[in-house]
Amino acid sequence: MVFQNLRPYFCASIENSNKMMLSVKDLHARIGEKEILKGINLEVRAGEVHAIMGPNGSGKSTLASVLAGREDYEVTSGSVDFLGKDLLDLAPEERAAEGLFLAFQYPVEIPGVSTTNFMKSAVNEIRKYRGEEAMDAVQFLKMFKEKMAYVNIDQSLLSRALNEGFSGGEKKRNEIFQMAVLEPKLAILDETDSGLDIDALRIVAEGVNKLKSPDNATIVVTHYQRLLDYIIPDFVHVLYKGKIVKSGTKDLALELEERGYDWIISALD
Amino acid sequence: MLHSDTKNTLVNLSELSSASSESLTNFMEMGFPTNKWEEWKYASLKSFNEISWRWTPETFTHAVAVPAFQQSLTVQNLNGQTSILGDLPEGLTCVPLNQFLNQNAGFKALYEKRNPLLDQNSLYHLNDAFNQNPFVFCVHKGTPLDISIVHQFILEAQAEPAVIQGKIILYLEEGASLTWIEQQASKGSNSTLFSNYALEIWLSEQAHLTLYKDQDLGNGVSLVDHTFIYQAANSQVDMFTFSINGTFVRNNLHFYIEGPNVVSNLNGLYVPGEGQLMDNHSVVDHRMPHSESNELYKGVLLGNATGVFNGKIFVRKDAQKTNAFQSCKNVLASDRATMNTKPQLEIWADDVKCSHGTTTGQLSEEALFYMRSRGISADAARTLLLLAFVQQVIDKVEIISLRDYLSAKIIQKIEQSWEA
Repeated sequence: MVFQNLRPYFCASIENSNKMMLSVKDLHARIGEKEILKGINLEVRAGEVHAIMGPNGSGKSTLASVLAGREDYEVTSGSVDFLGKDLLDLAPEERAAEGLFLAFQYPVEIPGVSTTNFMKSAVNEIRKYRGEEAMDAVQFLKMFKEKMAYVNIDQSLLSRALNEGFSGGEKKRNEIFQMAVLEPKLAILDETDSGLDIDALRIVAEGVNKLKSPDNATIVVTHYQRLLDYIIPDFVHVLYKGKIVKSGTKDLALELEERGYDWIISALD
Repeated sequence: MLHSDTKNTLVNLSELSSASSESLTNFMEMGFPTNKWEEWKYASLKSFNEISWRWTPETFTHAVAVPAFQQSLTVQNLNGQTSILGDLPEGLTCVPLNQFLNQNAGFKALYEKRNPLLDQNSLYHLNDAFNQNPFVFCVHKGTPLDISIVHQFILEAQAEPAVIQGKIILYLEEGASLTWIEQQASKGSNSTLFSNYALEIWLSEQAHLTLYKDQDLGNGVSLVDHTFIYQAANSQVDMFTFSINGTFVRNNLHFYIEGPNVVSNLNGLYVPGEGQLMDNHSVVDHRMPHSESNELYKGVLLGNATGVFNGKIFVRKDAQKTNAFQSCKNVLASDRATMNTKPQLEIWADDVKCSHGTTTGQLSEEALFYMRSRGISADAARTLLLLAFVQQVIDKVEIISLRDYLSAKIIQKIEQSWEA
């Protein structure tokens, strides 16, 4: 609850005006017999950027996966409220339709399906879920063109089989393109910086920043501070052994960069 | 020999005077294939030996729609009765075999030296017994344009279990070109029907055949197809077998490469569903040198379906410089589906390039989760992945209306399987 205590101090003004988007309470999850999340508490409001940091194996990616609905993990207790809905009750596709987006650490290769066809299916499935009319080819063309500019992505990449033979940078840029198309309310970026050189990192971060608005929120999961030079977080949380053990502002990330995680861990252990 | 009790059910067959006695005897000695026959291990028709079949079907009553695939001609065979709709295009003749053998010495020579591999193929004999004088469609030398023919071989549900048999011969003279689109279908439902069909084809030098099979039969219908293709020098065949529906579908597809510089392309796509079995047995017999065969089969197995692929490639002693490639890839779209694959290469020549590969897998859980996380439902994600998998074969169909038609039927079949 460290984080909740700190919140009024850090951004009292935002809290009053911006609505609650995600509320995670005492979340426990395991894979097989191994408990990985051991009581996560996290609140994210519209307009905020949260960074979740922590050493390897602390449960960062598990948290992202559980929120997106990966079925390998079993939630054993706790609750997740997403815009008034019980998130844990929804299938992954329903979560996406409600406005949740996970940018994958390792985007999956989908042989034979181009990014454009993939996105057309996704957009129209989501529109169907929301009771909206399907978009036609002309509307798609216009929309894709607009979104391509966000992440500086080339049409030729979008025509190729999704992620097949893409470089690390192309895969991540494609993730951000998908995010731009789907316009999520809450985006979770899982280790989006991994495997990126500095130029690719900047392009991806710029895309994320362009998509930021007072109505949506972003959770950046990362091991290193360097991504946070480009995507400036409002809050930084340190995850360790399945719990958030420390929360702070972006200064905390800088401190972690300088001192590593040991000083926090040794204070706990 | 058949067991005596089994033989009793075939008594009405032996009493038929219209059937050729020699072929009938060949069949009677063996009966319907059982799983004790190596070639029919997974596709037994043993129970057919017990059925009291009607051997001469009733007259066809349903209306049949003629598809529009840019064809020059439509030929219908309804419950075994052949009719030609419209006028024969220039360069094409259609004559009964006995008459054609007297007219065309070139064909007669080829026909008389034919040497198909008929090991464990009792049903070819059964078909032959009933089809002693089939029609020969001949595309003559010097016919400038590609002739395209739709052949509808359609069965109709009957009061009693019925066997419907048909046979067509195609002969392409030197340099002739033909597209043959075959629809094997059925009307009416819930009736035991057995379709035993043969298509024998001779290509002369420089001839080119594109052959599509659209096998889409009702539940309860079994089909055994014998397609034997003999290719002379410099000829090419592009062949497609789309097995879309049917309780039991068995294809015996044989290519006999009898001249140099022959190209044989075999493509297949099968989507057996709940309670269905689809079996592709292919033979590519390289009898002469400098030829090339490419075999690409893909299967999507739904529900508790069973699939069988057996691909034989023979490269005879004289067939040096042969290139023979074979690939069979399958996706089990359900935990209950089964696929049996067996590539069989027998090579007697020493200077050849041959390769084969078969794979059977399931849809990637990672890919499904990725797609679902973007808002695509689990069923839609599975459909999309399966369509992407089969696209490679569908995309090779050059007639767009036919491609769209087949595509739509395959999508429908896959989507329906999720509802079950």
